[in-house]
Amino acid sequence: MDIEAIMGQVLSGLSVGMVLFLIASGLSVIFGTLKILNLAHGTIYMIGGFLCYWITSTFAHIPAIFWLALILGPIATALLGGLIEIFLLRRIYAEEMLYQYILTFGLILILGELCKLIWGVGYHTVSVPWPVDGKMSIFGMIYPVYNIFLICCGVAVFIGLMAVMRFTGLGRIIRAVTFNREMANALGINVPMVYTGVFMLGCWLAGLAGTLMPPMSVVALGTDMAVIIDCFIIVVIGGMGSLSGAFIGAIILGLVNAFGISLLPKLTIAFGFLLMIIILIIRHWGLLGKPE
Amino acid sequence: MRTKSGVLIVSILFCFIIFCGFGCKKAGNPIKIGHIHSISGAMSMYGKSCATGGEIAIEEINAAGGVLGRPLEQITRDDNLKPEIGLREAKNLVINDKVDFLTGTISSAVAQAISNYAKEEKKIFIVNIAQSSTLTEENFHRYIFRIDTNSIPYWGYAPALALAETWKNKKIISLGFDYVTGKDTLKAFKEKYLPLVPGAKIVGELWAPLNTTDFTAYITKMKNSKADAFFLACIYGGGELAFTKQAWAHGLYDKMKAIQSCAGDVETWSSVKKGEPYPKGAIATSRYPFWAIDDPKSKEFTKKHHDRLGYWPSYGAMNQYVIVYALKNAIEKVGAVDTEKIINALEGMELNTFVGTVKIRKCDHQAMMPTWYGYVDFTPELPFPIITRVKALGEDSYHSCEQIEKIRLAATPKQP
Repeated sequence: MDIEAIMGQVLSGLSVGMVLFLIASGLSVIFGTLKILNLAHGTIYMIGGFLCYWITSTFAHIPAIFWLALILGPIATALLGGLIEIFLLRRIYAEEMLYQYILTFGLILILGELCKLIWGVGYHTVSVPWPVDGKMSIFGMIYPVYNIFLICCGVAVFIGLMAVMRFTGLGRIIRAVTFNREMANALGINVPMVYTGVFMLGCWLAGLAGTLMPPMSVVALGTDMAVIIDCFIIVVIGGMGSLSGAFIGAIILGLVNAFGISLLPKLTIAFGFLLMIIILIIRHWGLLGKPE
Repeated sequence: MRTKSGVLIVSILFCFIIFCGFGCKKAGNPIKIGHIHSISGAMSMYGKSCATGGEIAIEEINAAGGVLGRPLEQITRDDNLKPEIGLREAKNLVINDKVDFLTGTISSAVAQAISNYAKEEKKIFIVNIAQSSTLTEENFHRYIFRIDTNSIPYWGYAPALALAETWKNKKIISLGFDYVTGKDTLKAFKEKYLPLVPGAKIVGELWAPLNTTDFTAYITKMKNSKADAFFLACIYGGGELAFTKQAWAHGLYDKMKAIQSCAGDVETWSSVKKGEPYPKGAIATSRYPFWAIDDPKSKEFTKKHHDRLGYWPSYGAMNQYVIVYALKNAIEKVGAVDTEKIINALEGMELNTFVGTVKIRKCDHQAMMPTWYGYVDFTPELPFPIITRVKALGEDSYHSCEQIEKIRLAATPKQP
């Protein structure tokens, strides 16, 4: 492989990884605090995509409508998340894990069918918005600006989330609830509200990823299932509930996939799982997780 | 008095019944064609399109006096894309509606279920969309016909012939969905292409998991592979749209030639407008490029279809239209609705279609429907990308009868 081919795979790996991180970050945040593995997270992401298509096509005459969709789409999915947390999830925190899986799996089917009713079964596309629609030259290679923009978004979301968790009062409260729910409750923190807020944050992140994807991909039913497995792999590799872990996990998965495609294309389908198995054997609590 | 008027009423009624009986006889009992297709759900646009194709043919025939003085009738039923429902509807059509022929289906699984039933019941079943070659190759029997292309030309042979007739690329990299149809597609493409173009090689085979929507890493690999063309093996629908968008953004279409067979299907591309990414200049295939067919009958058919449904005809609509006419001709030749004799008439029959004469082969009951290929581009006539400068491929793009015989021999279990 020459240097250009290597750099091509590095950039592509980062791009694929960061897109997955944008989705997986929400999954990780929710699991970290609520200890809920939200199987329907990918579906929330898909709804974000449909909202992006719907807003940009309905109000196509407004200039820079995509950027408005980027603000409104995630807010809408966050509100949807709030409803799900308040009306459904709250009832099952005390129950066994199995109930969460059944509930969130049911949500995949229900929300998926709702999307089908509202937006139909066709394929939709969204144009790449100005000013990130061009191509640029990196290491002598033509590369779409939008992919670079996605990489930057992933890094920005990571830094932003870390900063909120570390340096703000809100972050301290979330960390406190995550660390010890009863103690936080005893200290006067409104734990149910923190739970709702964190779940909404997770859904906001899924909606953000969903809104960012359509310009480079396609809006269609089934896109939820295409990403959710990879997101689980990332969260498991990184350590359940660890945001930095998910960040590193996403980069590793993206790069392993990109070089796998390049060197051993016949095994592409297996790389993610192989990586997960190896890490689970060496550190079964994940790269940055804490052993229980 | 009372009895008299009673007799009168009864006799009037009697006369009425007799007259009506004569009247009905004059018009003749309709000859019924059962049509099972996907009328609801994801594939409903095909089902409705096929039904409309058949109805247009039937209206023309009935207006001209029907067949042997009897009108034709098409009864359409929904299979929900499920073999058990398709089979149930086929049984309903045969037992309750007393249909004379079965036609239809988009799903090969549904077609297989109906085919088995048709064999038992000795009813003719003519496929109008389902593509699986096994229907007419390994699982062939006397009662199944297909007036439609099949998976051999569509996925592998037609693109191979098209490339061998045009660019003759020597270094090709392939990308396919990692499942059985993807693998079969590449195998068929290689089987046909490599002997035709000496020195040609597949320099890389990439496989993406089914439902992949982010192809970035595959595209950079293809770009740096030093191949001069890429072949998409069975990447279709949403996956193909996503791939095209990303390949466009990476400038892949400017860097190498593209063979993207599915891009000739209007169904996927009708949402793409001028200025948006599309498979620029790629070789693609189509099974009914109505915009390029000059026969006025085709133009009229296309218009009628568009007026009724609001969208352009799928190739299935044309197939169902041709099927109805094939049955009409066969019945007229035989002089009766006699299944066995009609089968003999259909075998080897030359169909008069919009696209010239098409023969139904005796060895597999497969009509040699052409596959067209051309270069994807925008034209002033239509708002979405289509194949242009089209050329038709005929019997060459199908398995030969000898090949099919070998396939059937290999598929039959050996006697102990």
